[in-house]
Amino acid sequence: MSTLIEELKVKIIDILNLQDVSPENFDENAQLVGGPLGIDSIDVLEMVVMVEKDYGVIINSQEVGEKVFYSLTSLAGYIEKGKSGSAS
Amino acid sequence: MYIAGVGIISPLGSGPAATQEALRANRSAIRPLDLFTVGHGKPLPVGQVDGLNEPSPLPRTHQLAYIAAMQAMSVCDRPPDAIILGTTTGGILTTEQLLREKVTDKESYRYHGLASVAEYIAGEFGCKGPALVVSTACSSGAVAIALARQMLLCGKAATVLVGGVDCLCRLTYFGFHSLQLVDQQGCRPLDRDRHGMAVAEGAAMLLLTTQKPARPLAELLGAGLSCDAYHPAAPHPEGRGALMAMQAALADAGLNPADIDYINLHGTGTPENDLAEAKAVNTLFAAPPPLSSIKGATGHSLAASGAIEAVVSTIAVSADILPANTGCRHPDPILGLLPLAGPISQRITAVLSNSFGFGGNNGSLAITRPDSFSPAASPSQFLTGLAIHGCSCFTGAGDTAATMALLAQGAPVSGLADLETIARNLPPRLIRRLKRLSRMTLSLAAGAVANSGLDDKPASVFMGTGWGALSETYDFLTALADSGDQFASPTDFVGSVHNGPAGQVAIMFGATGANITSSGGDFSFEQALLAADLLLADTGGKALVLGADEGHHVLAPLFDPSIAPHAALADGGGAFFLSRKREGAACLAHLPFYQSRTTEGCIDLLLESLGGAPTLKDRYALLLAGIPAAAREEGERQLAGFLKKSGLEVPVVRYREFTGEFASASAVAAVMAVSYLIKGKVPGKLVAGEDITLTGNTGSILVLGLGCSLSAMVFSRP
Repeated sequence: MSTLIEELKVKIIDILNLQDVSPENFDENAQLVGGPLGIDSIDVLEMVVMVEKDYGVIINSQEVGEKVFYSLTSLAGYIEKGKSGSAS
Repeated sequence: MYIAGVGIISPLGSGPAATQEALRANRSAIRPLDLFTVGHGKPLPVGQVDGLNEPSPLPRTHQLAYIAAMQAMSVCDRPPDAIILGTTTGGILTTEQLLREKVTDKESYRYHGLASVAEYIAGEFGCKGPALVVSTACSSGAVAIALARQMLLCGKAATVLVGGVDCLCRLTYFGFHSLQLVDQQGCRPLDRDRHGMAVAEGAAMLLLTTQKPARPLAELLGAGLSCDAYHPAAPHPEGRGALMAMQAALADAGLNPADIDYINLHGTGTPENDLAEAKAVNTLFAAPPPLSSIKGATGHSLAASGAIEAVVSTIAVSADILPANTGCRHPDPILGLLPLAGPISQRITAVLSNSFGFGGNNGSLAITRPDSFSPAASPSQFLTGLAIHGCSCFTGAGDTAATMALLAQGAPVSGLADLETIARNLPPRLIRRLKRLSRMTLSLAAGAVANSGLDDKPASVFMGTGWGALSETYDFLTALADSGDQFASPTDFVGSVHNGPAGQVAIMFGATGANITSSGGDFSFEQALLAADLLLADTGGKALVLGADEGHHVLAPLFDPSIAPHAALADGGGAFFLSRKREGAACLAHLPFYQSRTTEGCIDLLLESLGGAPTLKDRYALLLAGIPAAAREEGERQLAGFLKKSGLEVPVVRYREFTGEFASASAVAAVMAVSYLIKGKVPGKLVAGEDITLTGNTGSILVLGLGCSLSAMVFSRP
């Protein structure tokens, strides 16, 4: 899980071009969307594409999305669950 | 102002009669896409037009525009004075295929540009005047009609063929899907279970005339424009911009809300749009009149939709029918609106038709039964030119100071503007999602306002770009093709629209007035200046007028006929902070002449517009000539003809020799002119001679655009 979180930090900083954020100061429990990073609905959709492309986990409803993207930790948890779910 | 003729082709059918029949039958034409393959998964429901000739040498957009134009022009036996088209797709469907096949032959891409649609229609119908393209995403059609209205009111034209057109393509199909804005079950505007739009295609045209035709279909009584200045893709949650546009349209028409008997809603079927629009309608109307969105029947044909709905509104007042809100079964109680469950036959006199788009771009039109109301707006007497208070530019040399310093040495400034220099003064948070063109545009805008030294902000924005956001377009299409049509970037899609940069400028300055992006190839900046000159009095206050293009290593050489394959790229642009107020202005700008197609005798017309040969010699000290490489022979011939006929003997600077080849190079030439007027002299090394002192009335600068079109911009002291 912690490896996944670290991996996600790097990916999200890259795809959302968060120039003033580094993996070290990216708080995995902080509010991700609508929080201090200025991440909005378009960024969420950008992350939806990344999660499906890189992890094969689909997020196609706003309701699910709101919970999943609450924080980096919740996102990593959903990906873990989704991956094991599709594997079984 | 009369609607003399209309043309329409949509998924509902071709022609006003077929459209009326489909509306009376409350028929939806939305069905799964089969125009192109979509990789894996089921094709999404779309509004697709049947019966076009395929394959055709012309892109689908051009074909659709021609069919609608033929219908609208059937009532008229002479060419229109001007053409204004709203489009966002141009030849992109063809381009997508060519890029996938790795075609590198430039000729194959000749119909890619948005301008090519207007030029094609102008050629087919013999229009010699301006052929303008408005590209403000989903409001393009309505905004084009608003601009046409102003052109007629100002007396710049007596007849205008105006409309909107877009075709289905991968960019919009996968783009809206990536934003999760497509309803998999078809489009259900205003329904409590609505889940988005159905991307569609189509075209509609209106022939507008100031003289009353024998059988007018309707009147275009008013038009209103606004910008949310809130978000690049989402509407203002309270419908602020939608309300402003409707209010402006009513004020322009001299109507009260109570005069409106039907509202044709934008009603895309996305949860956010319908909610924001409902709030705006409920704010403006104490008891809203009957209303409906037809997008559950037609789908959302993007740039065409505003024109299609203007034609449907014309049908409503001329054939006594109120169309149903097709697709809505359970009106969403939260919206507080009761959309028409079925079509109604009823005599009505006044319709309000709404169109909103990305970039927060809004347009609203008031269409009425002929001679039912006395028009409020009388032909105005403005158009006295624009007063420039500040300017800025970017070139391969860098910012304005760096550019002017090199030019003063007689050295070229061509090359790619340095991206770090461009973003230097912009907050990182603001620009993190923006690529080259948007960054350049924001920086130009900020530079022009700062240069004015005024503690003031622009209310409206007019932007010209020949090719739009090439980086986003390329990145989106490449990622899509590389993933087998599976993954596309929503950020790139939002950024790919031509009006993305101007929308960002509006957000940065809170500019809620008119926001128009024009695309006219090498004359895009001139088109933006023309739009500003037409609309500025309407919106009041100050405006930004910009022209910018980006050099993209793959797309620029394919699209721009003046950029040779493997040639060194150049890009940049210019921006002006201006108003109508001459007091304290740095200089004045006019656009006395713009003709999209060159014709026999056009040099004489150009001379005439400048006041005739004798006055020329006394007025101008410098001529900046814009001759795109692709039209060098024609441009040189025109220039020689002009110099001979005018007898003008002033230094001529072929400015593209300095700026390099890019579509909006004329915006940089305009900044050169303004800078020299402010300094009071033209550097001698630029003209390979002595410094030229610019004094009084004799020190004006003429900037000519030559080649396929012909334009003249005049810069003078206040």
